[in-house]
Amino acid sequence: MVGIKVGFKSFDEASGGLDLHKIYTVIGNKESGKEDFLYRMAASSLTDKNAVVYVTTAKSASDLINEFNSRNLRVSQYLGKDLSILDDFSKISTPNAQDTPYSKVLNGPLDLTGLSVALSSVNGDFLKEGRSVIDVIDSVSNLLVYNNPLTIFRFLQFICGRSKISGVTSVFALDSEMHTADVTETIKTMSDGVISLKFENGKRYFTLFGTAKEVLNWTELS
Amino acid sequence: MNDPLFGIDKLDKDLNGIPEKKIVLFSASPSVGNEVFGYQVIYNNIKAGKKVLLMLNRTSPESYLSEMKDYDFLPQSGLDIIDSYSSITGINSSSGKSVTTIDNPYNKEEVSRKLLAELDKGYDLLVLDSFSLLIDFFDFDYGLSLLSEIKKKQEANGTSSVILFTDWNYEQKDINSLMSAVNSTVEIRGVEKRVIFGQYFAVIKCDWVQNKTFSSVLFKAVKPGGIKIYFPKILVTGPTDAGKSSFIHSASKDAVSVDKLGGTIALDHGNLDFKGYKADLFGTPGQERFDPLLKLLGGEAIGVFLVVDSTKPEQFPRAIEMLRKTEAYGLPIVVIANKADLKGALKLDEIREKLHLDNEIGLVQTFAEDLSKVDPNQPTKLKKEGIDEALSLLFKQLT
Repeated sequence: MVGIKVGFKSFDEASGGLDLHKIYTVIGNKESGKEDFLYRMAASSLTDKNAVVYVTTAKSASDLINEFNSRNLRVSQYLGKDLSILDDFSKISTPNAQDTPYSKVLNGPLDLTGLSVALSSVNGDFLKEGRSVIDVIDSVSNLLVYNNPLTIFRFLQFICGRSKISGVTSVFALDSEMHTADVTETIKTMSDGVISLKFENGKRYFTLFGTAKEVLNWTELS
Repeated sequence: MNDPLFGIDKLDKDLNGIPEKKIVLFSASPSVGNEVFGYQVIYNNIKAGKKVLLMLNRTSPESYLSEMKDYDFLPQSGLDIIDSYSSITGINSSSGKSVTTIDNPYNKEEVSRKLLAELDKGYDLLVLDSFSLLIDFFDFDYGLSLLSEIKKKQEANGTSSVILFTDWNYEQKDINSLMSAVNSTVEIRGVEKRVIFGQYFAVIKCDWVQNKTFSSVLFKAVKPGGIKIYFPKILVTGPTDAGKSSFIHSASKDAVSVDKLGGTIALDHGNLDFKGYKADLFGTPGQERFDPLLKLLGGEAIGVFLVVDSTKPEQFPRAIEMLRKTEAYGLPIVVIANKADLKGALKLDEIREKLHLDNEIGLVQTFAEDLSKVDPNQPTKLKKEGIDEALSLLFKQLT
């Protein structure tokens, strides 16, 4: 099986890419480059003709697109067709925020039912077209700001279960310094693979645990 | 004054509304959601002159009302809101509704105190959206003790309550306790495999309706319009030129036919939306050379309209044969006696006799809207009265 290329040569060569239909947690601190990793992974997946559902909990859909553009990752041609954005942020500050042709504005991080219903619906639309689907939740840490950990565990347990049944690849972003060790460990346990990122001496490094092709030593992300 | 309503035809028929002092739980799976049931209950009760209190903690009042508007359920007045959300985001409510704000939604004492105090103001109906979020904020014991306090207020004030709940795989003992604490439970679930290809609701408990078995029904949540009972396949069959295409085009908004010079050569399809029901109509061709297709076209249908030409009794044996070939015998059925306005049309009792129909089987006459505009190569627009009567009779059997 060909994995999902994340767009970093060293990662793709060492790991073979992300395994399809698996659940990954991408973990690192503020400087580790989690978001950069997710943006490049999403853009690379789109280039490889996968469908991507990007759940943003810390910025609006338009800010997310700006992030792609600022990295010269052109995703505009995929919007609404291959890339769907679930904006779970905008209504926190703008209760009347409206959907766009490429993004659905959700009620915010407390309405996990709304998020799970929207994910099921958008995934279903792609799956009915026979597409390979990657869900990105960026980030679980923001959901944890508003909800207690047990609630988030139940939510992720449900999302993981649906992903397995549907054959969707899911990627959760988690900040390594925002939560207690037991919360972090529980979320890692729910995942098939854990991608750890760190920033050191001006360079970014990764490890990959839990999959067939592990990368156990810190390796430069290039 | 009458009891509060569900505002959903099927539930109001089965349960006769929501009697005062009763608590109804809408329990949904996380992939389906139950919020539209809440919008519909609120809107229809306010329309019926009830005073409704909404306890809201999953989103802001503005966002909630905006979603209600999308479903065409925006109440103009009569809705008071306890806002247990906005203080979390720091954005004050400006919904234009009467709003009581919970300053600290993470403080269970304040949540209970303000909700219970508000209930003393004489509401007909409380809608709590969402109960699962309350449990997640605090715990199940808190949720159950709050329900107990709400019950006491209901006894004193005659209020009814609708509780919206998402079943996030809580412990079964907690779910059992919750089910025991409410008077009625409506489960909302998805028909799920790799994708969710349908959703249904079912009354699994109701302590004020005795000796009745409740059936589950598929539904769609439609913007605008809300919850519509959904029948995925209703067959329309009958002999050549009886008026099957005319019936489908007259009953549906967006019917399509695969035809050649006015005769259907493959199938007709129409999607209808009628008094809280949605259905997909599938028409068969009438010509005998297509008979090998009939079994295939009739598969999985859950109801049948058999269309006959009232002026051509010689085709009636063929009509019965088509019922047999589509394997539609035994399904709920309504017979459409079309072209009842043409010269030589048989009367209803003559048709019933010649088709050997039991008196219980619905038989409805349909007429052209304007005989002068009938084009033999196009479906004829039929009068609304006959169409509506036929749809009502079949949906009554199906629910």
